[in-house]
Amino acid sequence: MASGQDSSGTTLMDLITSDPSATSTAGASSQQQSSSGVGGSLLGKPVAPTADRKSKKGTLTQIQNETISAAKALNPVKPVSYAQLVRSIHELAATCDQKSSQRQLVNSVFPKLAVYNSVDPSVAPSLLMLHQQCEDRNVLRYVYYYLARILSDNGSQGLSAAGGIPTPNWDALADIDAVGGVTRADVVPRIVDQLSAESSSDDVEFHARRLAALKALTSCSTSSSEMMEKLNEIVFGILEKVADTKQKRKKGIFTKQGGDKESIVRGNLQYASLSSLRRLPLDPGNQPFLHRAVQGIEFSDPVAVRHALSIISEIAAKDPYSVAMALGKSAQPGGALQDILHLHDVLARVYLAKLCHSISRARVLDQRPDIKSQYSSLLYQLLLDPSDRVCFEAINCVLGKGDNTESTEDRAGGWIRLTREILKLPEAPSVASKGVLSKSSEKSSKARRPQPLIKLVMRRLESSFRSFSRPVLHAAARVVQEMGKSRAAAFALGAYDEGASLNVESLDSDLENPMAEATRKPNLLSNGHGGMDTIAGLLASLMEVVRTTVACECVYVRAMVIKALIWMQNPHESFEELKSIIACELSDPAWPSSLLNDVLLTLHARFKATPDMAVTLLEIARIFATKVPGKIDADVLQLLWKTCLVGAGPDGKHTALEAVTIVLDLPPPQPGSMSGLTSVDMVSASDPKSAMALQRLVQAAVWFLGENANYAASEYAWESATPPGTALMMLDADKMVAAASSRNPTLASALTRLQRCAFSGSWEIRIAAVQALTTIAIRSGEPYRLQIYEFLHALALGGVQSNFSELQLSNGENQGASGTGLGSLIIPMLKVLDEMYRAQDDLARDIRQHDNSKQEWSDEELKELYETHERLLDFVSLFCFVPRAKYLPLGPTSAKLIEIYRNRHNISASGGLSDPAVATGISDLMYESKEVQKETNTVQSGIDPDLAMAWAAGLEDDVWANNAPAVDKVKDFLAGAGTDAPDVDDEEYMNSRPSVGYDDMWAKTILETYDAEEDDGRYSGGSSPESTGSVETSISSHFGGMNYPSLFSSKPSSHGATQQTIREEPPSYSTSVLQRKESFENPLAGRGGRSFGSHEDEDKSSGNPQSGKALYDFTAGGDDELNLITGEEVEIEYEVDGWYYVKKRRPGRDGKMAGLVPVLYVSS
Amino acid sequence: MILAVLFANSDGNILIERFHGVPAEERLHWRSFLVKLGSENLKGSKNEELHVASHKSVSIVYTTIGDVCLYIVGKDEYDELALAEVIFAITSAVKDVCGKPPTERLFLDKYGRICLCLDEIVWQGLLENTEKDRVRRLIRLKPPVEP
Repeated sequence: MASGQDSSGTTLMDLITSDPSATSTAGASSQQQSSSGVGGSLLGKPVAPTADRKSKKGTLTQIQNETISAAKALNPVKPVSYAQLVRSIHELAATCDQKSSQRQLVNSVFPKLAVYNSVDPSVAPSLLMLHQQCEDRNVLRYVYYYLARILSDNGSQGLSAAGGIPTPNWDALADIDAVGGVTRADVVPRIVDQLSAESSSDDVEFHARRLAALKALTSCSTSSSEMMEKLNEIVFGILEKVADTKQKRKKGIFTKQGGDKESIVRGNLQYASLSSLRRLPLDPGNQPFLHRAVQGIEFSDPVAVRHALSIISEIAAKDPYSVAMALGKSAQPGGALQDILHLHDVLARVYLAKLCHSISRARVLDQRPDIKSQYSSLLYQLLLDPSDRVCFEAINCVLGKGDNTESTEDRAGGWIRLTREILKLPEAPSVASKGVLSKSSEKSSKARRPQPLIKLVMRRLESSFRSFSRPVLHAAARVVQEMGKSRAAAFALGAYDEGASLNVESLDSDLENPMAEATRKPNLLSNGHGGMDTIAGLLASLMEVVRTTVACECVYVRAMVIKALIWMQNPHESFEELKSIIACELSDPAWPSSLLNDVLLTLHARFKATPDMAVTLLEIARIFATKVPGKIDADVLQLLWKTCLVGAGPDGKHTALEAVTIVLDLPPPQPGSMSGLTSVDMVSASDPKSAMALQRLVQAAVWFLGENANYAASEYAWESATPPGTALMMLDADKMVAAASSRNPTLASALTRLQRCAFSGSWEIRIAAVQALTTIAIRSGEPYRLQIYEFLHALALGGVQSNFSELQLSNGENQGASGTGLGSLIIPMLKVLDEMYRAQDDLARDIRQHDNSKQEWSDEELKELYETHERLLDFVSLFCFVPRAKYLPLGPTSAKLIEIYRNRHNISASGGLSDPAVATGISDLMYESKEVQKETNTVQSGIDPDLAMAWAAGLEDDVWANNAPAVDKVKDFLAGAGTDAPDVDDEEYMNSRPSVGYDDMWAKTILETYDAEEDDGRYSGGSSPESTGSVETSISSHFGGMNYPSLFSSKPSSHGATQQTIREEPPSYSTSVLQRKESFENPLAGRGGRSFGSHEDEDKSSGNPQSGKALYDFTAGGDDELNLITGEEVEIEYEVDGWYYVKKRRPGRDGKMAGLVPVLYVSS
Repeated sequence: MILAVLFANSDGNILIERFHGVPAEERLHWRSFLVKLGSENLKGSKNEELHVASHKSVSIVYTTIGDVCLYIVGKDEYDELALAEVIFAITSAVKDVCGKPPTERLFLDKYGRICLCLDEIVWQGLLENTEKDRVRRLIRLKPPVEP
């Protein structure tokens, strides 16, 4: 960062100091700069991390530059250095009584110094001298400017809160300070003293300086309590004198023209003191604080009133009761708040709306309906405000939008309010607005008769959508989105019904009847058309206008419109139009991926509001997957799939799964296009990047299908009633398939698709498909397991070609494992299934024997059986997660015998913590699936919206309570968070990122896992279940932490992320990979340490991570690296080649928890 | 909160920037994001025509004035419309200082004054003065309303 800033700083200094006649050369040099150093910031490429990391190195080069520029300083055309400027200040300050020095300061020195974001403390004495001795206003103004900067500087690396180009030799100067120069600690108290003395002086002649001094003082950091106290004292001292005037503010905006000198000075002081008060930390319990703020709304200075209102509205959000009491009668007609309706300051009115909202919604004021109604009426009047900003704020307030923490009830209440309330203006409306704003008086005369809010709002929004201003369009679309949110909430609570519209209709006509005016006619007309003037009608016409806005050329406006449309989409209406709009939009290459992901997240939010819409939303999400696979975040998409799948209910599950599988039907990427990775001509489905992304997505879908098909189909081996024997009877494959599809079409179709993928996709997809099939085979009962077994067997042997003759024709290659390249992968899978079947056969035989000879099972036999059971469970757990407590690899018949053995030997079946499934949280899967089934049933049978909501809320806890990045993203989005900086480079640099190299990564994983397994040697043969486990791991790693969206997968435990893996690979993948790895490799840890809980304990005790603290800021240079902020506490996991692998306590701004940082950056 | 005010020339070099409440490590991202936004959308746009963008819950409004591009980033009450007000206040102050929509040269000549104006308009992330007369008086160290 330092380098970027410095070079741009030099450029700027070049530009500023260059001779005007030489502009062209300056421009050229700047261009040169931009192509080299500044290019980083221009193109959005992160500045080379090496330069970034080594701020010390940066300092060195700075000092070097410094000396060079000092050497060249003799040449006047060369840019002036910071040191030179500072020197001239020192010199000129000594002679500040001379006009020439003043001129030089104002015209050249100070403006050039402004290029730097701050000045170092060594300048302060000269500045203070100027402050005392100089009388030139222009010089003084700059002095205040720089003093404020010194005060605001928090002392860390010369970066003030205000930003800007850092003082170039700041670090060097800091070193000098340490050996006896001037430090901040020396000068700040002096500055504060001098400024506070000035701001407390009562001399009227100097009151402008007083204002400036006070303002400069407010820039000091709020962390110092001493300074805050001082500032408090000064501000309240001034307010004591100026605030208590009973003199009423003159109305309108002509205040400043009238009035005597004294009142003007008072007005100025009121402004300055309130402006400072605004900067003081909010103090809700403090009555004098509130009192002064309340007095502020009657001040003559509009900016002062704005600050006062913003303070009050902020306090009102926390403590509405005392604010309402303190405001007393100001809200009544003729009160001070009414005057603000006509104040010529937009933000003041915005704060007024917020204030009214807080008070009129406050529960504590339920006893005082009179007060609440006063504020509601004020709020409704703001709907007529000439400024769009104010009107939109008022609409949002009416709709119940707060700070994104509002409850569904609030939102639903907002919708009811909007649709049912009537605006009645007080008797003498708008006394003062005449002639001030013709527009507003026009409006208020039009709006004199009572109006339903919804009509006002709709009319206003419709006219806003005809605006040409992009901000207005964007804001209007946002308001419509908020409206959709409130409406969805009303739907969810069952408060939205068609009756409501009729209600308003009748009210509407009731109200309009007495005054048969010209406006009545259009209404009649529209009624005559049969287009009822209902809410539905109004909404329809609004949405028509909204849709036309999609034609706006600005993508951000269009994105907002699409979000609004998604929110306004009614679950019971056709969404064809929305679909086609989105499909059209997505074909436009101008869309940045961040925006698309935003829309995707909106789908999430919409789903959370109305789980009924799962299928609709999946359909829409599918458009994203097909149209812009390269731009969307596969993780977020997966999470959406999953939440929708869970939310779709028993009926929708099939459809939901279908929606996911449609991704599989996409045309496979062109094989040839994969080679030319570097050439990016244009974004289309055929370019390598999106082809790769599409492949990733297909892989994701395949994996998702494997993980979730059983859930979607409600088919679980441990619930299957079909004894294995029956399945073996149906060995005829055709019959088997027929039986399968008739019994469970969802699962059957998923199987079909996966089987096709196992043939036709790219190698990666084929592997994923085989993995998915194995997962399903293990989790499903018969005949599915057998069907898959048969299929895999065929695949492995390359025999039984007749079964796949058509496929073979279309594919043209040998269908055997050699052709698919999957042999090594399939064999261990088959082995497990073989083992299971063999064990089942053995069991059946043993049972028969025992039955025939009427012999009890001996303990030895039971033990053997139990051991087989456990061994098979271990095998199975290598491939996918199963609930160990319930899963019966030996089939349902074994249940009783195992139970007997367990009882005899006091082995807890549910296993508690010793059950890996429980330890990792996956055995909720039984619980979860049952729970969900049960609850969805209730939702289905008796439509109880409360229950539905409770369920949806419960969803959040279960499904969303993990740490995966996508989940965080969604959470952030839902919470309205996200002021962090946008990521510019994700699109262009996807291929060039150091750690991604897709194929390399793949190859490396394979090689390394195979190496590892050779060492392992626990199983005979070339490939073992472990190896496949690892391969699965690596597959999932390609989807960037794909384990979370599965109902079956483990919830990543926040701490267990990084315990192993050093031997495996450079930790270039996300933490999820490691988690995954851990979960697979634990069974390898030996029989003794098989159970998860104990293993983790072991790790905790032996690993014993060291804690450390970040010494410097560190910006990650690659995916595997981790951003650090100075002072952040981390846990050091291990050290590799001068790097620490560290873990943070909380995810950082980028959502990353763990990664590599240079050893030197962390104190251990 | 007004998170950032940023002036850049047409080449994308940053002339003035004021951040408030943006962590140092994110500033670089914002800079490049904004400059990229400008380079994609401001070519051929009319003088002072407002453009809008958003990133999560943050709004961005930007425009060109003369040869200079101006970007403002805000959140909460400073949504796109409030930012439009801010941008209007800033552009009118800049035009007032420069006497016309500035060329890059003119802008740099008046650099100091523009910084002072900016201080009067946006102070610590909050909009302060909007009227150009007031701003003009304040940068000459005169009271906002003259007796």
